[in-house]
Amino acid sequence: MAEADDLKDRIRALRAEFDRELAAAGDASALQALRDRYLGRKAGAITSLMKSLGTLGPDERPQAGQELNALKDEVEKRLDAARDQRAQQGRGQQLARERVDITLPGRRPPHGRRHPLTTTREDLEDIFLAMGYEIFDGPEVEDDYHNFEALNMPPDHPARDMQDTFYLAEGGLLLRTHTSSGQIRYMLSNPHPPDVRIISAGKVYRRDDDITHSPMFQQIEALVVGRGITLGDLKGTIEAFLHALFGAQFPVRFRPSYFPYTEPSMEVDLGCVVCGGKGCRVCKQTGWLEIMGSGMVHPALFEAVNARLGRVVYDPEEVTGFAFGLGIERVAMVRHGVDNIRLFYESDLRFLEQFPG
Amino acid sequence: MKVPVGWLREFVDFTVEVGRLAEDLTLAGLAVDGVEGTGDQAVLDLDVTTNRVDCMNVYGVAREVSVLYGTRLRPVPADVREEGPPAPTSWTIDVEAPELCPRFCGRVLDVRLGPSPSWLRDRLEQVGVRPINNVVDLTNYVMMELGHPSHAFDLAKLPDARLSVRWSKPGERVTTLDGQERTLQGRVGVIAGPRGALALAGIMGGASSEVSESTRTVALEAAYWDPPSIRRAAKALGMHTEASHRFERGADPEAPPLALARIAHLLAKIGGGRTRPGLIDRYVAPRPRTRVQLRPGRITAVLGAPVAVSESRRILTGLGFAVGEPSDAWTVDVPTWRGDVTREVDLVEEIGRHHGLANLPPTIPASTRVEGLRPAQRRDRQLRSTLAGAGLTEVITYSFVADQAEVTFVPQPLRLANPLSGEQAVLRDSLVFPGLVSVLRTNVRQGRRDLAVFELGRVFGLDTIPGAQASSEEPRLGLLLAGSAPSHWSSAPRRALDFFDAKGLVELLAGEFGVMAPALQPVEGALGAVLHPGQSAVLAPLRPGRPVEYVGVLHPDLVAKWELKEAPIVAELDPARFDAGPPVRARALARFPGVERDLSVLVEASVPSSGVLAEIERAAGPLLREVRVVDRYDRPPVPAGRVSLTVTLAYQDPARTLTGDEVQSSVDAVVAALRARGWDIRGE
Repeated sequence: MAEADDLKDRIRALRAEFDRELAAAGDASALQALRDRYLGRKAGAITSLMKSLGTLGPDERPQAGQELNALKDEVEKRLDAARDQRAQQGRGQQLARERVDITLPGRRPPHGRRHPLTTTREDLEDIFLAMGYEIFDGPEVEDDYHNFEALNMPPDHPARDMQDTFYLAEGGLLLRTHTSSGQIRYMLSNPHPPDVRIISAGKVYRRDDDITHSPMFQQIEALVVGRGITLGDLKGTIEAFLHALFGAQFPVRFRPSYFPYTEPSMEVDLGCVVCGGKGCRVCKQTGWLEIMGSGMVHPALFEAVNARLGRVVYDPEEVTGFAFGLGIERVAMVRHGVDNIRLFYESDLRFLEQFPG
Repeated sequence: MKVPVGWLREFVDFTVEVGRLAEDLTLAGLAVDGVEGTGDQAVLDLDVTTNRVDCMNVYGVAREVSVLYGTRLRPVPADVREEGPPAPTSWTIDVEAPELCPRFCGRVLDVRLGPSPSWLRDRLEQVGVRPINNVVDLTNYVMMELGHPSHAFDLAKLPDARLSVRWSKPGERVTTLDGQERTLQGRVGVIAGPRGALALAGIMGGASSEVSESTRTVALEAAYWDPPSIRRAAKALGMHTEASHRFERGADPEAPPLALARIAHLLAKIGGGRTRPGLIDRYVAPRPRTRVQLRPGRITAVLGAPVAVSESRRILTGLGFAVGEPSDAWTVDVPTWRGDVTREVDLVEEIGRHHGLANLPPTIPASTRVEGLRPAQRRDRQLRSTLAGAGLTEVITYSFVADQAEVTFVPQPLRLANPLSGEQAVLRDSLVFPGLVSVLRTNVRQGRRDLAVFELGRVFGLDTIPGAQASSEEPRLGLLLAGSAPSHWSSAPRRALDFFDAKGLVELLAGEFGVMAPALQPVEGALGAVLHPGQSAVLAPLRPGRPVEYVGVLHPDLVAKWELKEAPIVAELDPARFDAGPPVRARALARFPGVERDLSVLVEASVPSSGVLAEIERAAGPLLREVRVVDRYDRPPVPAGRVSLTVTLAYQDPARTLTGDEVQSSVDAVVAALRARGWDIRGE
């Protein structure tokens, strides 16, 4: 009996001691030491008591064993809990230590920009690529034949005044005034005549330099030729193109106009994308933006190409076509609210770096 | 062109308000740029296209209005009561140059010179013409009304009352109405008296025969002038007048008698004088009439939708065309004022614009083949994206540059015959010199220090093929880097950009496009004057005869000359270098581990690293997969004049794991070979 009571006292004392020591154990190593002291396989205090169970009588042994096991479970459980709690505390301190000021600027990989005229041009090209057009570009230095004569502008034609030309000192050459010269080149070397479905995009040059004119600018022109091509096709294609570019909410209207290389010829107006048609500074209070020139290919072009080819490849009786062209700067200016065309070519990075791309 | 609405109403009735009229005219091809005033006082500002000279007057616009609204176009009142001695007895006219002046008409008027009545002056002021006196005012009024210019001579000031129409003589002089004395060269048409030129044909009258307060009798002239002749003369003289504007675009050869009659009619109406009997009409080279066949089927073929036959015929007839009987091909006689209409499709346009383009249904033609970006187009897009991704900003500079090249890349540049300025005199043969260098200077002026830019564009030159001159145009890629590499915090050490940043970009592009990084060679010749000879290289040419490609640091002389703080690094490349080859074939991944060993080789500073690597590759044997330079060190304890290159040797066998012994024996062989060259090895 005395041994049993003694054991109970020791269990009680041990629990009280554990309580004290656990409260004092600061970090993970102190907890481990505590674990060794109580539960160590050789010298642990509880382990030793377990071993002393054998000295008790058979009646007392089960109850004492139960109490001792309960103590062992409790110590284990409380040690585990304390370890988890200490670990959590430590991680919390670590995280607090490692906090950064997320409002400081990000470290950006070096990143440049494509030119706003490049991104605009590629957007335009992509619409035509989706419609099955080929992109074609001819030389920027041209001759009179491809730039004027074949386009129904013989020498002395008044329309030559509309396109004040840069001439080169050598070889009767000039800087192309429009990408239409490329259309003549394409028709002359067409791999699948008489069908043509191209856009020609590139730099063109006119002797003009002010806030809305640059002596060098970029054009994109479409040419579609084949049997049964009509003015309705021109209208539908241009509407689809402008709606893809600016959005279907803007109306498109066609006004008869004049170009030597098309007949009938039309100016195309787009409902002002700035004011929505109410009238503003950009549309000069008209509600319309004059966005491009267009028309049905003048039969004289087919005749000129046939003459150069020496055979009738584009029979004006059988073949019709349409063409239209616009300035890439014009689109970029409308899109980005730029009011001075020369900014595109002055290469001031403060301007160029505003645009994504 | 200004068109007063009240003037229009003299010839045509319409009920729409002015805003609607302006819009309807615009959609029929006569663009109304603006409207001043309201109601009958309103004035339309028309932007008439250069082909529609017939609408550069009130009556022509009235004709369009009459077709728009289906109302009658009233004729122009032009009846003349003639009095006094017959005109031909008082005035003689010889047309010596019928190719210049196919028709010359004249009338003689006895006038009481004075100011015009206020209604006439008001009309002129509405269309922007300054009133002068009743005779001159009437010629201007009728020009604005009917579109045909005329000119009044003071008959008393015409020597012998005799005029001839001829080409000018070289050096002949005439003082025009604007007071300028002009010396005529080349083929300029003149109206002359026996003692010399009196007026410039179709452009401007002369001062010596000008109508003035003393004028009692007027010789009134209205002619049809050959358009190219007027155009060339006006251009040569640098003149542009209301008259020349109309004549060079083609006036109506039938209009002169009407214009004169209208002036005579109005002169009587305002009590300004009377008209002597007889019209002088020298129609020496009658203009052919134009007749065009119009097949109704072509209307549908071009417009894409049918237009009712009655509608087509109404439009043409209303515009003054005489349309023959309905059939498969209508015979259409073109009115003389429509010189712009010469073929069937021109008639289709007339029908289309008055039928209304908005009434033609939009369609989209079916695709017939699959297209897409061509390889070079894809390449250029990828070049731009890659370079932007690598931190370079794209610029586009003018193709023409100043004619003061620091270096030339073509045998002969292409020169502009009519540049806007000396800064734009020749076509560039380089993107860098001066284009990208100018971009640097522009931005440095803005206080910018660090920048990285590129341009993808063409360079030009004159090809001198024997027997023919042709231009050459080559695509080029230009790069320019300046300043230092970006750093996140200002306290971080600044690293100035150098040759290897630009060389690295070339290697990046090669990697991006899956082509071999180009071999570099030392710079020679003219390039050595613009690039730092010790920090520049030319690329081994793609093919013989291609333009030189280079990468290098700007020469210190030019850095000083252009007042730059730091030398930029520049490069020019042929984009064709990055043409993608066939798709890459995937390599099997190594299944056995490789071994890496580092060596530091101490060599003279003049020895290129490529020489060290070549020596290692020669000595290492077949197990060496790759050797690369990973460090370069030239400060103490490395002795002056020498440099320590650390190289990593990577060994691998695809079929097995390497043993330490075989790697070591290769390293030993390498060390022996390097020592044999007299180079020291550290850290072996």
